[in-house]
Amino acid sequence: MRSHLDLLVAVLRGTWYVCFYRLFRRNVTIRFPFKAFARVRIEGPGSVFVDRNCAVHLNVFKGLSIVTLSPEARVRIGARCNLGGLTIRCRTHVSIGDRTMTAVSLVQDTLFLDEEKARENRVADRFPWAAPVAIGSNVWITMQGIVLGDTRIEDDSVLATGAVCCHYRALPYTLVSGNPAKRSLPISRVMHLVARR
Amino acid sequence: MKDWIARLRGDLFRLRVRFFHKRFTAGPGLRIYRRFRFDGQGSVRIGRNCRIDGIRGDDSQYVCLDTLAPEALIVIGDNASLYAARIVAKYQVTMQDDCLIEESGIVDTDFHAIERGRQAPAGESKEACRISIGNRVCVGARSCILKGVTIGDDVVVAPGTIVSTSVRAGSFVRGNPGRCATSTEDRDGGE
Repeated sequence: MRSHLDLLVAVLRGTWYVCFYRLFRRNVTIRFPFKAFARVRIEGPGSVFVDRNCAVHLNVFKGLSIVTLSPEARVRIGARCNLGGLTIRCRTHVSIGDRTMTAVSLVQDTLFLDEEKARENRVADRFPWAAPVAIGSNVWITMQGIVLGDTRIEDDSVLATGAVCCHYRALPYTLVSGNPAKRSLPISRVMHLVARR
Repeated sequence: MKDWIARLRGDLFRLRVRFFHKRFTAGPGLRIYRRFRFDGQGSVRIGRNCRIDGIRGDDSQYVCLDTLAPEALIVIGDNASLYAARIVAKYQVTMQDDCLIEESGIVDTDFHAIERGRQAPAGESKEACRISIGNRVCVGARSCILKGVTIGDDVVVAPGTIVSTSVRAGSFVRGNPGRCATSTEDRDGGE
């Protein structure tokens, strides 16, 4: 009974977010149906698109937070995603495929949010400043994962707890772990090792 | 408008600490954009033209400056920008000018020992545990700077880094534990 009530509240809350952004924030498009079990916060001048049938869950006290840092920023989230505690900070382009699942994690395509201060300290002269992030379909980003700029996570991959990816390419259906993430392990091999125990 | 309000908040805060918190000094030009908490009986000195702010999109985090002992000292240089930075000092944390700290923790003690009793850690002292951060250091989101670390000038700490050893000037540090990298690129991941 309670779960039905929670679902109803989430659908109503999600519908409220869909209507609110369509009416008052023309750069943000959330497609119906959208289930919001936790707070959704989207701000910034860039464009954000969330496809249909997505759900936002509460994970470690956080819901969904998307911050675009420039008018050219584009965030695209695919259909049927389950986003829990996800924070996206985008200066260029962040895309997340369909059926992706996230726990409390951070996707940030730029090294620092305060561009003016970092440019004063000449960070941009020495290191790549911002680069797009592409996350494929059916990816699972587990707890406290951080995905930084110029990273591509292919379909069906899993980002292990605490993994931090920067300038990284993961093959499809692999387990990515480590800080910084180095070689990713094919999940079929992981299953084989587990079966052999 | 926001800048004006932040500057006003900063001036009012400086007035307040001048009368009620003698161990806290803040230089002129302080701007407070979001909630700011400080606690403890130690001394805190903030330089000129500093910025205290939160993280965009997240109201639950804010700048905290905690001192755990009356002898503890936190020094923040001029033109620093703190975005939801949490600084905890039992001994001494000093930061030079033009630093940028985003959503990170700086702690100069382990709080507990790893033995079963979880007593206060042995072997900690000001000389061993103090944290020293140089000029123009940028610390990315969700990083931690641990005890006894000296960070040189012009260091960039990538998001998600746990800095447990000292860092020479001009480096780029990432990883857990933090290691200097010659560039931000790491191309051997799965290809």
